[in-house]
Amino acid sequence: MPRASVLALTLLAATAVGGEPPTAKTPPPPLSTCIACHSQLDAAAAEPTKHASEDIHFQKGLSCHDCHGGNPTGDPEDVMAAHDEKKGWTGKPKRLQVPLFCAKCHADPVFMKRFNPLARVDQLSEYRTSLHGKRNAAGDARVAVCVDCHGVHGIRAVKDPRSSVHPTRVAETCGRCHNNVDLMRPYGIPSNQYAGYKSSVHARAIYDKGDLAAPTCNNCHGSHGAAPPGVQAVVQVCGSCHTREATLFREIEKKKGLNLTPCIQCMVCHDNHAVQTPTDEMIGVGPKSTCTSCHGPQDVPYKAIDEMAKAFQRLKERQTEAVDLLDRAERAGIEVSADQVALRKAQDQIVELRVLAHAFDRDRYLATAEAGLAAAEGGVAAGDKAFRELRQRRTGLAVSLVVILLVIVGLGLKIRQIERPPDPDAP
Amino acid sequence: MSERPSAGPLTRLGEWLDERMGVSLLLALGREKKVPVHRHSVWYYLGGMTLFLFGIQVATGILLLLYYRPSAGESFESVQFIMGHVPFGWLIRSIHSWSANLLVFVLFLHMFSVFFLGAYRRPREVTWLTGMLLFFLMLAFGFSGYLLPWNTLSFFATQVGTEVAGRLPLVGSFALRLLRGGDQVTGGTLTRFYGIHVAVLPALTTLVLGLHLLLVQKHGMSVPPGVEAKHEMPFLPNFLLRDAIGWCAALGALAGLAALFPWELGVKADPFAPAPAGIRPEWYFCWMFQTLKYLPGQILGVDGELLGILGFGVGGLLWTLVPFLDRAKEPADRRRILIALGWVVVVYLTTLTLMAYVPVGR
Repeated sequence: MPRASVLALTLLAATAVGGEPPTAKTPPPPLSTCIACHSQLDAAAAEPTKHASEDIHFQKGLSCHDCHGGNPTGDPEDVMAAHDEKKGWTGKPKRLQVPLFCAKCHADPVFMKRFNPLARVDQLSEYRTSLHGKRNAAGDARVAVCVDCHGVHGIRAVKDPRSSVHPTRVAETCGRCHNNVDLMRPYGIPSNQYAGYKSSVHARAIYDKGDLAAPTCNNCHGSHGAAPPGVQAVVQVCGSCHTREATLFREIEKKKGLNLTPCIQCMVCHDNHAVQTPTDEMIGVGPKSTCTSCHGPQDVPYKAIDEMAKAFQRLKERQTEAVDLLDRAERAGIEVSADQVALRKAQDQIVELRVLAHAFDRDRYLATAEAGLAAAEGGVAAGDKAFRELRQRRTGLAVSLVVILLVIVGLGLKIRQIERPPDPDAP
Repeated sequence: MSERPSAGPLTRLGEWLDERMGVSLLLALGREKKVPVHRHSVWYYLGGMTLFLFGIQVATGILLLLYYRPSAGESFESVQFIMGHVPFGWLIRSIHSWSANLLVFVLFLHMFSVFFLGAYRRPREVTWLTGMLLFFLMLAFGFSGYLLPWNTLSFFATQVGTEVAGRLPLVGSFALRLLRGGDQVTGGTLTRFYGIHVAVLPALTTLVLGLHLLLVQKHGMSVPPGVEAKHEMPFLPNFLLRDAIGWCAALGALAGLAALFPWELGVKADPFAPAPAGIRPEWYFCWMFQTLKYLPGQILGVDGELLGILGFGVGGLLWTLVPFLDRAKEPADRRRILIALGWVVVVYLTTLTLMAYVPVGR
């Protein structure tokens, strides 16, 4: 085939392969005979060419031979020339070899610096610490390798929402294996994590609110060094976002000399994957309490838990009452903005108490509740005062209107008196 | 010589004042002044009502002055203090705000009643001119006073209002900077408006009002053309007592409004926040605001908004010069045309004002 025809075919193939047409942002794949030839082959062989234009490697100017070796500029009719081992052709790597295959570039800091000076190059070393990596090294071809998460061809950048490792898609990607009962059974790993996570408050934050700061699988388990956090590390993992709760929790162990490890820290109350929005009913001795899952009525902490819950409930009720009173007073026209600002302290204490529950410190908890209750009582008192003021105003209005009416009547009588025609019989 | 019976203390005080100030002369003038009684006499009370409400504004304004602080950092808080902590501060402030609105409303009624009754005709042309000056002064009071609480509505209403001034040809830029004390509405604008509201405008109003009242006393009450007065009533005490009834009623209405619908404090102005949706000026400027909204961007190659502003100016000028446009001695076509135009103006102002309060989208 003449070279001009190859060129034309290559260009045609570049626009005809799947994905987007080339644009200024997604330039066409570099000219090579690989794509020109493979696009003419059967389904399996043509597959790599279908996603070339959306692949980050092609977009950065790399091509097939940069990974697979070979000669991209040889005679396109000569397959052996293209697949020349002397030109470094390695073909399709074996599954167990994929991490090393990708690490040829991704673990080379000098090479990666050309594309991104801040690119990490420790993916392989992290992978080797993971359960995936350890089993891969032991010859288990069923565990995840690079292509299982990132794709083979058509690999998109992580920040591309269509990437399989974008935060909005990580759980789905991990779930491809971890949701597979048959795949997980030999390892004794449960397969309900994906379902649990999808029901969680973290998933709702990502999928419903678009909040990419919310965690997905890799935020807790790691990306390449994926592993369940150790028992000692659960509070550290959750504490990377929930810092105050984690600090309070760690203080318990230091101050009280308690060993809370058997409780597996955060998970006992909040679960690990199906983390739900915490409710105030979780604290206390009621039916929805998490405390009573461990502490029965005969336990020493039971009474303290009950006291804490009651103090919290009392504060919430008074704060709600104060807010309602002040709002009604405001609508009636009484100036209460300063009182509403002061009442915020009660709301602040409510929020503080929800965090302080993680200190498991009855005295500290009750003291904080007392401070909040004082602010709430102040708000109620201000509301009562505002309504007394309102009643006084209305009374004052009624009195003044009566006085004004009397004056008007008086004026009317005076006018009548002075305009009365003179009495003709008067002397 | 017979001895003069001893006079009571009040009589002796009256005699003392009369000797030094000529009070009896004023009382005599008042007794001499007569008010014609006919089917349109009720409109005569509007002038006194306007004066009464202005008096309320002065009295409540002076009381507010004792606590108000004219700076961007303190004005809102000082009004908040007046509303929340000063005894009866809420009452004084609410009366001041409601009375301002009632004053402008009654002023419009007074102006239109004078117009329709032809009370501007010779020799009362200057009375009409001073009355129109007072009208513009009251609008200026309203505009300058509206900014003083420094809340969101007043801040953005002032921003929009001063921008309109900035659209005037030739002098617009100067007028804008003169009003604002700079390019933007800032604390400097507040201080400037405060000075205008409590010093400049009261001084001008005192002069013009004095002249207006003097002219009203000089010329007496006008009888509308084609109307015959049945009889006359003395100004003192008959008309004044009736005036007082109206004033008491107005006082009662103000007390009710202040107690049942206290004027809101709002939210402190944030110059960096966007203007709230649906922002509009006070109701007596809404007809202008709404007109400018409806005008197309370009009219015959000229900026629509500019044409609108010039239109207001020309319209205001023509309205002010009405005594010189109506030279008919007898009820004639020209007078009938003017009356018809007057009703057009009333309907136009009322309709545009009401439309400003129709929710957007309807």
